[in-house]
Amino acid sequence: MMRRPLAAIAGAALLLVPGIAHAHLLNTGLGPVYDGISHLFLSVEDLLPVAAMALLAGLNGPVAGRRALFALPAAWLAGGFAGYLVAVAILPTGITALSLLVLGILTAADRRIRPAIVTALAAALGLLHGWLNGAAIATAGREAMELIGIAGAILVVAALVSALVVSLRLSWARIAVRVAGSWIAATGLLLLGWTLSGRL
Amino acid sequence: MRRYLRTLLRAAGLALASAIAGAACAHEMRPGYLELREAEPATYALLWKRPTGGEVEIQIAPVIPDGCSFATRDRQQLTPGAVLVRGTLSCSGGLAGKTLRIDGLDITVTDVLVRIQHADGRLENHLLRPATPSVTLGAATSGLERARSYLQLGVQHILLGVDHLLFVLGLLLIVSDRWMLVKTITAFTLAHSITLAIATLGYASAPLLPLNAAIALSILFLGPEIVRAWRGETSFTIRHPWVVAFAFGLLHGFGFASGLTAMGLPRAEIPLALLLFNVGVELGQIAFVVLVILLERAFRTLEIHWPRLIEALPGYTVGSLGAYWTIQRTALLF
Repeated sequence: MMRRPLAAIAGAALLLVPGIAHAHLLNTGLGPVYDGISHLFLSVEDLLPVAAMALLAGLNGPVAGRRALFALPAAWLAGGFAGYLVAVAILPTGITALSLLVLGILTAADRRIRPAIVTALAAALGLLHGWLNGAAIATAGREAMELIGIAGAILVVAALVSALVVSLRLSWARIAVRVAGSWIAATGLLLLGWTLSGRL
Repeated sequence: MRRYLRTLLRAAGLALASAIAGAACAHEMRPGYLELREAEPATYALLWKRPTGGEVEIQIAPVIPDGCSFATRDRQQLTPGAVLVRGTLSCSGGLAGKTLRIDGLDITVTDVLVRIQHADGRLENHLLRPATPSVTLGAATSGLERARSYLQLGVQHILLGVDHLLFVLGLLLIVSDRWMLVKTITAFTLAHSITLAIATLGYASAPLLPLNAAIALSILFLGPEIVRAWRGETSFTIRHPWVVAFAFGLLHGFGFASGLTAMGLPRAEIPLALLLFNVGVELGQIAFVVLVILLERAFRTLEIHWPRLIEALPGYTVGSLGAYWTIQRTALLF
């Protein structure tokens, strides 16, 4: 009888273990801004949550899309600079998995969410992932300017994806977005499983 | 309160402009060139070209591989735009398996094209970049790999050429409809392709420093025109932006050519290099134009209504950066 609660506590504890600051930091040779841009497109653990957030914001109309568009990169930048200054990844390793799971489920469910909540989700996502990026950049002894590149790339991805979803008029296109949300949730669940089993 | 906000936004705009200006100044995208030609077995004629005379002095030098030494003393020669070093290198057992490194490359944003002509006719081409400043020699390079390195150079040249991109952005902000956009971008492409070809084939050249100042002036020229277009006023540039794009495109083409002429490629290599470098520049430019158009459409779909001050910001940023670069680059002439 006691096994299940114990397993749940152990799992939660594993999720809360601070992760090692790691990210796909690369040297493009084109300077830190381009390094930052490339980082986003080569880091699935950052790109996928951004895409999921943009899908969710787009499903909730132009107001939510607009607010998330500004909240997400701004929070990413703020979290990034804070993480860069502290240079310690004090956040749990399961952040990416949880982000994907929550955003994926909300997208797949396609329930109307108030723009303020979408904005808050975007800000939370930005702060958490930005912190991890900033800490990783500082730990690797790289330039904080990379965060500008990352935030710029996030603004572009979020604008294009959420505007695309807002402009969808056909019902099957909306279903396709929900299916994408369910895949994102499944990816999050898989990552969560790996995190709990200690594979990540 | 609104006044404070306006001042704050202006300060932010100025800070952004100076950050871009600072970053762009440091981006000297004139590649170096190292050629090793096997004259006799295990003896190579060395030619090293280090670009000079730009806004930033590029401090890079090849490190001779272990087991190699100069058979004859290296001779230096200062030419317009480059320092040339020639010498004869003796490498026991040839170059295969040896590592060649470019010292100082990792702290620049430029590239070095390494070309090795072996006695048996094999041709080796390597594009060394700040991320990969060394290479292990020995393998022959296929035509496809050589083509890719020139294409890559072209894309990099436009992506790092913030001044070229800003000029294209300025044109995009002036054009009123899709047809005019096609005409304007085509005119710019045609013009810079003409001068790029002329300069690379050696029929004409433009001194780097005055050229850079003139390119900056072309950006400054667009600033007031963007503001005029935004206010709904008209001018020759607003009515016929393609004419201005063509005229200034000729200047920008000489700028693009500096990416190839600084290397001084062998004549036989020039047609391939010119074609693919230009294709690379066009690909980078098209990607930039498409991105700007898509973003503009996305902002419209999301019903973003910018405050008037923000709406005017691109025009003022283009103009301010143009003015800053014009003054800075003109000062370098004296």
